[in-house]
Amino acid sequence: MDAVSVRNLTMKFDEFTAVRDVSFDVARGEFVTLLGPSGCGKTTLLNLISGFLQPTSGTIEIEGKNVIGVPPEQRNTAMCFQSYALFPHLTVADNLQFGLKQKKLPHAERKARLSDVASKIGLGPQLAKLPNQLSGGQQQRVALGRALVMRPNVILFDEPLSNLDAKLRESVRLEIRAIQREYKLAAIYVTHDQGEALAMSDRILIMKDGRIQQSGRPDRIYKAPESSFVADFIGGANILDATVIGQVGEKNWRLDTKMGELTAQSDTPPVAKELKICWRAEKAQFGSGDLNTVTADIAHRSFQGNYTDLFFTVDGALQRVQLGEEAGELSASITFHIRPEDIIFLEAIK
Amino acid sequence: MTRTGLNKILLWSLFGVCVIWLVVPFSMAILWSLVDPAEVWTPDKLLPPVMSFYRWTYLWQFSSLKTAMFNSYLLAPSAAILTLTLALPTAYALGRLKFPGKETAKLLALLPLVVPGFVTAIFFTAILFQLGLNAWRFGAILFAHSILFLPYAIRIMTVSFEQVRQDHIDAARDLGASPMARWYVAYVPALKPGIMATLLIVFIQSIEEFSIAFIVGAPNFTTIPTLLFTNLGQAFIRPNAAVLSLILVVPNIIFMLFLERVMRSANPALSSGKG
Repeated sequence: MDAVSVRNLTMKFDEFTAVRDVSFDVARGEFVTLLGPSGCGKTTLLNLISGFLQPTSGTIEIEGKNVIGVPPEQRNTAMCFQSYALFPHLTVADNLQFGLKQKKLPHAERKARLSDVASKIGLGPQLAKLPNQLSGGQQQRVALGRALVMRPNVILFDEPLSNLDAKLRESVRLEIRAIQREYKLAAIYVTHDQGEALAMSDRILIMKDGRIQQSGRPDRIYKAPESSFVADFIGGANILDATVIGQVGEKNWRLDTKMGELTAQSDTPPVAKELKICWRAEKAQFGSGDLNTVTADIAHRSFQGNYTDLFFTVDGALQRVQLGEEAGELSASITFHIRPEDIIFLEAIK
Repeated sequence: MTRTGLNKILLWSLFGVCVIWLVVPFSMAILWSLVDPAEVWTPDKLLPPVMSFYRWTYLWQFSSLKTAMFNSYLLAPSAAILTLTLALPTAYALGRLKFPGKETAKLLALLPLVVPGFVTAIFFTAILFQLGLNAWRFGAILFAHSILFLPYAIRIMTVSFEQVRQDHIDAARDLGASPMARWYVAYVPALKPGIMATLLIVFIQSIEEFSIAFIVGAPNFTTIPTLLFTNLGQAFIRPNAAVLSLILVVPNIIFMLFLERVMRSANPALSSGKG
């Protein structure tokens, strides 16, 4: 049985439809990320699952039980809020125990769970402090602990790391993942940060305009985006308009693009004669090759440490090439080639 | 001018204002209350020639001070609590609900404050008489005070309700809190300073209010202000008035200091960002 099962979920606010006909499942112990730009409906979806909103139509099952109409206080979900939402007048220990007290658990059980979770999140010495005496990272952990201590069926994260600085964010996301694995919790994680999504998830659901655009393992989504939205949103791929002008052998297609004639290799044929294609900046091979050699004038360069982004324009749109050491020697123009298998077919141009 | 120089000037001006506004009136009131009837305090003398507690004991024994104090100190806290209770539903609506015309409603709730107290008092008493509340004078004044000071209470409590954080309410719900538990964990800590401020302001306003207490209560029902004005108005006995004004002021200060302490210990974290 799946921990969460969402079917044909739609949520309308007056004229605005925030979630349109969304269906997906989350298995026990699975970490699923809802990823998308702001306003894509991901937080609304989370609020529907936690019970703060009731859907216009569709069903949500948690551990096989339909929870439509069940208020949040009776759902076995626990939420980690973006703002942490710790009770400022309660000590860390009281914050952690709050939910257990609402459940009226016996004192001994409460104590056992509290000390268990306190050691898990490493806040044993902070139990008597008030939230405002803690650092941002510690507050974040209290919020996580407060959700964990409930032993929920599903743990929900609403952009929990957005208030932390970049360095801390990386260590906390490892921690969250480790704890989620250890408790074998089903987790639904909302973020707009593709790095977070790629690093943490078992599966990513990419959302746009209330719909799931694509779902799958992080590496699959990165390697095989199905639309220019996904290709751009994850990893900022270079996207071009292309016209199929011929097929070579079984898997190779010749394409006419603004960047010149290109050959693409794909297991699946292009969806239309006129379509969008993409290629990843880091897949550019320095120097000329047998196929797909491009020479372009460098418009900007941006040094990133272990690599350098070089930008050039194709028909007014910026394209990006990522090179290592060799980028340093280039001044005015660049010659590179793209392997046919690194060119990916996307959706048709309407 | 240097920064320290400016600071010094500001400090001394503050000190000067304090002297003019607080120290002088207070010491004058204290001195006047100690004037012994044996010899009058004429302007050519810096201090009263004969000082005693005669006025204090006299007023305590021979005037209606005792009943006035009893009335005032029963009336003011009752009015404070009643006003707070009456203000809560409106403040909740203005502070937490969304509805069209909310800003206008907020403004309307404050409007009664622009009408001079005495004018309100005269017309308000007419209503009280029509309602038949004049038979129970304490109740009539209590009712009137509550209505009169409601705008303050609504304003303060509206802001307090706006301060309650939705994510705290949501977090409490998410953790399984009943409506009662939600109220205690999310609302009360945020409302506490507002509740204290409302109680303090209505208490002080009520204890000092003259017009309604006089129009409705006189002559049978005395409060400290009506007694004070009687002493000032008819006989103009300044030393007696000094005694009464001190009696009026001292509890206010004690109450204020007490609330300050309560508020300081209430919640240091709430106003400070995250948490």
